[in-house]
Amino acid sequence: MFKKILFATSATQASDHAARVAFNIAKNYQSSLNIFHVMGVPTRGYSQVVIDVKTKEEVAVDEDYTAWVTEEVRTYYEKHLDGSFEHTIDVAVGFPAREILRQAKTIKPDLILIGGSTGDEDESVYKKNSAGSTLQKVAKAAKCPVLVVNRPAASFWGGLSNIVFGTDFSKTSDKAFDFAMKVAKALDCEVNVFHAIDITPLHTGKILTQDEIEQQIRESLRKIRARYEPRLKELKAYSMDVAEGIPYMEIVKYARDNMADLIIMAHHSRKVVSDDTRLGGNVEQVIVRAGCPVISINK
Amino acid sequence: MHDLLTGLFFWIALGVFLIGVLARLIMYFRGLSWQLDRVAYTSHPGAGFKGAVRSIYKWLIPFGTYGWRTQPFITIVFFGFHIGAVLIPLFLLGHNLFLQEKLGISFFTLNPCFADILTWTVVISAFFLILRRLVLPEVRIMTTLYDYFILGVAIAPFVTGLFARYQVGDYSFWLNMHIFCGEILLIAIPFTKLSHVFLFFASRAQLGMDFGIKRGGMKGTKMAW
Amino acid sequence: MPEGKFCNKKPIDTAEGINELLSDTSGNNYYQEMKELDIDSDLLWKTIQNTCKSRTKTWLEICAHCGMCAESCFLYQVNGRDPKQVPAYKIQSTLGEIIKRKGKVDNQFMRDTMETAWSKCTCCNRCGTYCPHGIDTGIMFSYLRGLLYQQGFVPWELKIGAGMHRVYRAQMDVTDEDFVDTFEWMVEEYEDDYPGLTVPVDVENADIMYTVNAREVKHYPEDLAEAAILFHMAGENWTVPSKGWEQTSLAMFAGDWAACKMQVESVYEAMERLKPARMIGTECGHAHRATVIEGPYWAGRKNGQPPAESIHYVEWLAEALNTGKLKIDPSKRIKELVTLQDSCNYIRNHGLKKATRDIIKHIVEPGYFVEMSPNKEHNYCCGGGGGFNGIGLFRKQRNIALLTKRDQILATGAKLVLAPCHNCWDAIRDLEEEYEIGIRWSFLKPIVIKMLVIPEHLKPEE
Ligand code: HEM
Ligand code: SF4
Ligand code: SF4
Ligand code: SF4
Repeated sequence: MFKKILFATSATQASDHAARVAFNIAKNYQSSLNIFHVMGVPTRGYSQVVIDVKTKEEVAVDEDYTAWVTEEVRTYYEKHLDGSFEHTIDVAVGFPAREILRQAKTIKPDLILIGGSTGDEDESVYKKNSAGSTLQKVAKAAKCPVLVVNRPAASFWGGLSNIVFGTDFSKTSDKAFDFAMKVAKALDCEVNVFHAIDITPLHTGKILTQDEIEQQIRESLRKIRARYEPRLKELKAYSMDVAEGIPYMEIVKYARDNMADLIIMAHHSRKVVSDDTRLGGNVEQVIVRAGCPVISINK
Repeated sequence: MHDLLTGLFFWIALGVFLIGVLARLIMYFRGLSWQLDRVAYTSHPGAGFKGAVRSIYKWLIPFGTYGWRTQPFITIVFFGFHIGAVLIPLFLLGHNLFLQEKLGISFFTLNPCFADILTWTVVISAFFLILRRLVLPEVRIMTTLYDYFILGVAIAPFVTGLFARYQVGDYSFWLNMHIFCGEILLIAIPFTKLSHVFLFFASRAQLGMDFGIKRGGMKGTKMAW
Repeated sequence: MPEGKFCNKKPIDTAEGINELLSDTSGNNYYQEMKELDIDSDLLWKTIQNTCKSRTKTWLEICAHCGMCAESCFLYQVNGRDPKQVPAYKIQSTLGEIIKRKGKVDNQFMRDTMETAWSKCTCCNRCGTYCPHGIDTGIMFSYLRGLLYQQGFVPWELKIGAGMHRVYRAQMDVTDEDFVDTFEWMVEEYEDDYPGLTVPVDVENADIMYTVNAREVKHYPEDLAEAAILFHMAGENWTVPSKGWEQTSLAMFAGDWAACKMQVESVYEAMERLKPARMIGTECGHAHRATVIEGPYWAGRKNGQPPAESIHYVEWLAEALNTGKLKIDPSKRIKELVTLQDSCNYIRNHGLKKATRDIIKHIVEPGYFVEMSPNKEHNYCCGGGGGFNGIGLFRKQRNIALLTKRDQILATGAKLVLAPCHNCWDAIRDLEEEYEIGIRWSFLKPIVIKMLVIPEHLKPEE
């Protein structure tokens, strides 16, 4: 399953909750963990100088500095690296999203694990250069599932037993479903398929009557059954539900009520929506709000 | 004395001046290198010619360029000095009579009253040119004694000419001095910074060709001097 | 010590050499050694005799010392009108002195000259258009840089930069494989959103051969994808060369003329190999200058033209918008005050002011575009040109130099600055970082992509 994990980290407190999950998975599933840290963002034109993402200071990158930063990362995670799983540490210079994707292209992990919005301050160095957060860009372009741990609450995590799969019946959602099934089978989990009907007038263009809503709910349930049930039967336990509301809210609520320990969703937005995660698409909203880790799947 | 100055000396000065100017112009243009200057002069003669002409004539018009317009004071002083400095030697009545006698040619002549005004303008402008050099830090820092010397050589004929004109003291002394200074000026032109009298055109033509050929002229953009 | 370990007269020709110099953090030892570096006066004087011909000699001779160029130089203005910043003074006291002394100058003089050549002039050529004699001090400074480079007096970063061109034929350690690989990777990343998106590598007789800035490959490969998307949307028949794809030239900033020639010849070879109808370079100012404007002369092309017609990205974009190859959705045009940075390298020095303004007409709602003052061929340098941006030693001076552009931008009231030049873009980013005036800045590609009308047959499914 998670044989090779790329864990992208700032190696600061901001990534601590993601780290907890990363080490947890690595330990439980015997993954080999690649701890990847983008240490600096290029500045000063063509020169060798970068802005250190931690100190925000300009530093000249050379071999010594790279070695030093690698050591810093190792020290930071020392107590977790107890030999119970394989790990490597890499550091790079560049714009974080791009470098994470580049690293993924090179090592081809099964999963990218990344801390969510690390707070405005930490993003400020990156943001200068292009629209969209690191998270959005990685989720959009990654070829493997991207697991995001945004809130500290999402990291107090025992293991995997209960997965919520949110669907919108798109092709990408089918891929996400494949992945959810794979995880569930490998780790013997329960899968709860969930669809939320968007009843915000912005989306529907009008206020729906209760009859219309219930009609849609029935239709969606039928769709879920037709589309997913045959395969869900391979599992020991599963459920299927539909609710109406603001989709991302409903998913977050549903996951909470069902005590899910993982949400799996498809990532759609064609474009990086904006600089502000709060304005992102559904997945991003779920990531920001969920009380458990979220895996976004895009290809 | 007078005979010598208007005779032999005059011929020498004129000869040195003409040959000097010609030789230096030839040297200038032969010294242009398409590769070192990075301007393909000969491959695009038309574009080069257009650029050169524009570059020269725009700068000959008072306030005709951004450069002139942004610095009105120096522009007024410059043209005050140069209009006279060029017109008086060629078109003053007295000079024309002299040229007629010596070379058998004469140009159109300036109204004597206007010529007086021009000459005074030259001298007064020269005063401001000197003042500028003394007062403005951005000019003072580059000014050398040589610059004052050149200015001196340039205005000497005008000052002495005015003394003669108003017959201050000994007329024939001032007249001889005037002729002498004029001849010195002629000789100085090819060998000193005063070579700009003709190299101005060469240098402007060169930059004009640069713009006309390489820096946009062939893209259809005329440099907005 | 005549020749140092790090600082010497030898150009860098190997990857090991580059790494060795890079290992000297910030060039600390390099500059230390420079204090001991001997001057080869004979070589210096011989070089001058061979290369300083009538144009430059005349410029130096007839300069009236009139100071009319003073006010035209933004570095003079922004440094408290320090008379030492008058263009004519700067060049007379450096190049002028070297010639006067027939090359017999000492180490201190050379180091001071280096400081002047790289921190008091960005080779923006503005002064040349304000001198009544047509004396272009910027040109003389780039000539002077060549002399300094030959003697080993060149800022550390530029010695490395020139070395990169010698070794990789690119301004950074990006190999030909990296380039093709990255381009393909980017196209792959975007092909879901733009079905049919490809990067045609080494296609002969294409209409367009596209060349880039190595920094795009290294740090912002999205730019490559954006270029591909726009060519794709415009239905262009385009290609990139697998060799000779780098258009920039730090060697030009360094004064390493031999490396300039090597670099530009690699691009010309690609043109000759692939025979494209036209070459188009990315949104970069100095790259265009190096490959299209000056390059033919370094390569010894007598007509002053590259082997294939070569245009700047803004010319292509203007053409594509004007002819309707690319269509803008008017409702998505920029509706906020926006201004434009005119890059000296292709506006003042290649007359492309109309192209950029044509683009503006398409992408900005009428009434929202504000010109800087001055603008077009009279615009001031961004403050980071001529290599200034990347030189650590002169960082302080560079930051002062940014003030001109800061004030120009503030005066427009715009919060968005279009900067179709890598160097200007960098400088404007740095000025925001340094002075925090709350602006955003952008290349044209991402902005145009956002407002494009996508033809029906190119739309993604769903
Ligand atoms: C058509 C002929 C001439 C042209 C185009 C010309 C052009 C110029 C230019 C462009 C300058 C430098 C700009 C400046 O100082 O503001 C200059 C300076 C000067 N010119 Fe001329 N010139 C011409 C003829 C003369 C003549 C005939 C004289 C002497 C009688 C002369 C004497 C000077 C002097 C002394 C300066 C230095 C001014 C200073 O101290 O700032 N020029 N000239
Ligand atoms: S404006 Fe021209 S002539 Fe006057 S000082 Fe400057 S470079 Fe020399
Ligand atoms: S080229 Fe530009 S920076 Fe250099 S002296 Fe002239 S105006 Fe100043
Ligand atoms: S960076 Fe841009 S503005 Fe600055 S000198 Fe270069 S082209 Fe000009």
